Amino acid sequence: MSTLKYICWRLLMALPVLLGVSVVTFVLMAATPGDPIRLLAGARADADMIALVRERYGLDEPILKQYFIYLKNLVQGDLGNSLRYRQPVADLIARHYPVTLFLVIYTVVLTLPPVVFLSVLSARKPNGVADQVIRVIGVLGLAVPVFWLALLFARFFGAQLGWFPVSGYGETFSEHMWHLFLPALSTMIWVVPILVRNLRAALLDEMNRDYVQAGLSKGLGRKQVFRTHVFPNSVLPTLNLFAVIVAYLLGGSVIVETVYAVPGMGNLMVDSILARDYFVVQGATLVFALTTMLVMLAVDLLSTVIDPRITA
Amino acid sequence: MFLCGLTLVVLWGIVALAAPLLATSDPIAINFEAILAPPSSEHWFGTDNVGRDIYSRVIYGTRLALYIGLLGVISPMVIGMTIGLLAGYFGGWVEMLAMRLLDITVPFPFFVLVLAIVAVLGPGIENYFIALAMVGWVGYARLARAEAIVLRSQEFVLAARTMGFSHGYILLRHVLPNALSPVVVYMMTDVTLVILFGAALGFLGMGVAPPTPEWGIMIAEGQIYVSTAWWISFFPGLAMILLGIGFALIGDGLARMLRIER
Amino acid sequence: MTALLSVRDLTVKFGALTAVSNVSFDLERGGALGIVGESGSGKSVTCRALVRLLPDTARISGSVRFDGQSILDASESELDGLRGKHIAMVFQSPASHLDPLMRVGDQVAESLRKHTDLSGTKIRQEVLRLLELVRIPNPENWLHAYPHQLSGGMKQRVMIAGALACQADILLADEPTTALDATVQKRILDLLNELRRDHGLSIIFVSHDLGAVSAVCDDLIVMRRSELVEAGPVADVIGNPQHDYTRMLIASHPDRQAITTARRGTSGTPLIEARNLHVRFGNRTLSDLFTGGDSRFTAVRDGNLVVRPGEALGIVGESGSGKSTIARALVGLVQPVAGKIGFDGNAAQITGARRVGYLRDVQLIYQHPYEALNPRMTIYNAIAEPLRRHRLCAPSDVPDQVADLMAQVDLWPELASKIPGQLSGGQCQRVAIARALAMNPRVLIADEITSALDVTLQAQILDLLLRLQKERGLTMIFISHDLAVIRKLCHSVIVMRRGEIVETGPTEQVFDTPETDYTRDLIAAIPHLPEAVPMRSR
Repeated sequence: MSTLKYICWRLLMALPVLLGVSVVTFVLMAATPGDPIRLLAGARADADMIALVRERYGLDEPILKQYFIYLKNLVQGDLGNSLRYRQPVADLIARHYPVTLFLVIYTVVLTLPPVVFLSVLSARKPNGVADQVIRVIGVLGLAVPVFWLALLFARFFGAQLGWFPVSGYGETFSEHMWHLFLPALSTMIWVVPILVRNLRAALLDEMNRDYVQAGLSKGLGRKQVFRTHVFPNSVLPTLNLFAVIVAYLLGGSVIVETVYAVPGMGNLMVDSILARDYFVVQGATLVFALTTMLVMLAVDLLSTVIDPRITA
Repeated sequence: MFLCGLTLVVLWGIVALAAPLLATSDPIAINFEAILAPPSSEHWFGTDNVGRDIYSRVIYGTRLALYIGLLGVISPMVIGMTIGLLAGYFGGWVEMLAMRLLDITVPFPFFVLVLAIVAVLGPGIENYFIALAMVGWVGYARLARAEAIVLRSQEFVLAARTMGFSHGYILLRHVLPNALSPVVVYMMTDVTLVILFGAALGFLGMGVAPPTPEWGIMIAEGQIYVSTAWWISFFPGLAMILLGIGFALIGDGLARMLRIER
Repeated sequence: MTALLSVRDLTVKFGALTAVSNVSFDLERGGALGIVGESGSGKSVTCRALVRLLPDTARISGSVRFDGQSILDASESELDGLRGKHIAMVFQSPASHLDPLMRVGDQVAESLRKHTDLSGTKIRQEVLRLLELVRIPNPENWLHAYPHQLSGGMKQRVMIAGALACQADILLADEPTTALDATVQKRILDLLNELRRDHGLSIIFVSHDLGAVSAVCDDLIVMRRSELVEAGPVADVIGNPQHDYTRMLIASHPDRQAITTARRGTSGTPLIEARNLHVRFGNRTLSDLFTGGDSRFTAVRDGNLVVRPGEALGIVGESGSGKSTIARALVGLVQPVAGKIGFDGNAAQITGARRVGYLRDVQLIYQHPYEALNPRMTIYNAIAEPLRRHRLCAPSDVPDQVADLMAQVDLWPELASKIPGQLSGGQCQRVAIARALAMNPRVLIADEITSALDVTLQAQILDLLLRLQKERGLTMIFISHDLAVIRKLCHSVIVMRRGEIVETGPTEQVFDTPETDYTRDLIAAIPHLPEAVPMRSR
């Protein structure tokens, strides 16, 4: 199969998953116990509101038809209206989404250099001093609650030292960088150990491969073999993990944004849950899933470019 | 390393069981005479904004943390193992079905979906467990499936087939025991995560209801006092780290003993 | 003339374990030396120690001199100058020794880029020349291919091309043909001979296969348990072995093995037979529809076989020929899409409720001794499992039954409480046989059961099977890529290629007057021991 055909095929395969994701978010609302209209419209909703919700979502219709109405609205970009803000959910998301996207990309950029550095250092000499230290740090990083760490960072670097702001997003690009540094750092400390553990394992795996012996037998020397053979082969498994990590980061953003009052998707979601603003919760969940899907797709396609075996 | 982790977890278990003996005062007793008191010989970890003893609350909080962590992983593991083993062993449409189910669960960031489910069902630990069962099985299913795919073409499994044994018997007696090691390692990491996410729910106000001593809630309660009374949030977080490290070390040690990296 | 490579008292230790002990030999320029031994004998470690290609935990002592230069004292950078440039190496399993992400041409060019000043088109030309040298057809087409697009034999040729890129003086070949089919092995051996003759290449050839070694080498070293037990010219060692172990090694070679089946008349109704068997793997998938491909793969086409009671049938063929698939179809592990399988005059009940009854009569023994046993189950439980599950005897009789079965396959009773990891490969294979015998079968199918074992063990297991065949009157189907073994054991033989039966008939007829070119190739590829020099009278 040619690479192009494979890419088309892969894109086609994403469609049913997309449908599945929409079913999940739909079921999320349909499964809400109690009178759905009451819940959807909120306890304080007036008769007009209730009628509007009923009409728009056809809540008296059979469940399957309700789903198709939901799907039709979805395709038209209509995610419903926020009951709290009294404006379309799509608009709310459009406002909050870039902030979270910025935070996630920022975290990824901060994360990659230490991950590569620490894994290579660790794998160079397995069970050496550096490896042991990195291993302990990894265990520690896994156990640290992000929101607690974020809180301490806010107090220490923000309130006490005054180096960084502890809330908000800022207006310009450099302000974004400055405002989001602590949130990104807090998340990073949690993500780095997971990635280091994986990349280290991948590197060690690859270092024990037979082609390393073959490279050494050609007189290439350890450094060149590491650079030209071991590292490229280790990137593949780590790349797949990357998609998973982005999902983690999006999930983590919910917590970190709350602590630092960053006006992103996570903050929107938590506020909406507490306010029982169901359409926003539904819309935000969907957008989170779509983002992960896109990243996974990108990673898959990137793997095809790197690994000639995939399209075979 | 493994023994360190085991010791740590066992110690925490003892703390949870002996909480009434170890605590110095009632964890939910309000004491307006000692509001926001810093750590002292009387209140080892200080007191919070209504004068409750942080030390005693941390000690009692252990019970809930262990309860959440140990119980929270069981249903995801059972569901995930079942789906994964069946999918990997039988292949064909069973696998197809399981993989599609996996495909549509995976794009949802774990914590986001848990939050969304809790939002629909309402706050509380039971709903957290339900959410975990619906979302957390994915990791187990993936691992179990990968193992089962390898095992199903191993000759000892084929031999069991040609001995005329039934699929159910082969799955239980030959496939399951040999697929267990990576799953157990993953479970140890998962316990840590389940505890952390449980606390995060508490922190966001979607876990157990206050005034139950729960570490996440305690950290949230200290949030506004973090500049003046750091001890309210600090100690529960420290406890959480020490418990998490215990499980993480067990997982790490097991992985090395069983030669499963990642 | 001093030797090109001179090894004295080479000793390699891993911690307390001695892998190689006091090995000495010389290799002349243009010479070819074979190192033979079983797994764990230290032959591979010896070979790798010559260029210090061992883990850091290895401690090497003694002396290795290449052209006067001491290799054991050389610095890491001096070694890198030597490796690939003067002493090159090829390995077993070419698939894993090539980097899957790097184009074939680049992998061949690697050592050129490292050791020579060539660049750009010069390198390209040189790579093409090398690929041509190792007989890769249309090298331009393969320059940009990735390893997974090549066949096993081609990968091995690419690896040899990469090793020889800088016109090395010595080629260290570590089991270079072990993972390859016999016909491919023969072509690689021919290639090595040719390189030696035309380019003056000196070769050290490490192998467990005496036949393959004697096809290339002049001199021979026999290693056992990390020690050198015998050395000398190939003809002398094979014709007049001095050491007991060498004698056993030679006697275990299929050429010399003194085993034959009872050549009974093959009349009577067939016990097991297959008619027009068709096996296909995979399903048409959605992606086939999309790309116009077909992911189905026909493993067996029109397979026919007939085995009469007490007879032994051999099925031979190279990897991927479908010989194992037929065996698996006979016991219901794969479902044929068409065809009939008959047993004892009736249609065989391979699926459904009555399959247990059929499987009691027809048992399959697998290839890999360790893999065929559940690693977490004791030997006792492994053998007792069919007895208990199918209630083949009263529960109180199970221990006696297991003990009896273990005795039949010459296993010590003490092994009953062990797990497979604590046993040797040969012992595991005996357990697998005992487990199959627990069902008291009439037909035993042996799927490559000796190919993962060392030659001496191979001979023992075959002996055991023949004895059981005589004692129990078993009907056997042997599946093997090893024609020499089949020739000794079977009454009739089926030759398979790419899922089809190309030739079938009584063993003598097929071997002595083969009808197809393919069979002739297969027979010609059997590595033989050189004719023995007549024994001197004692």
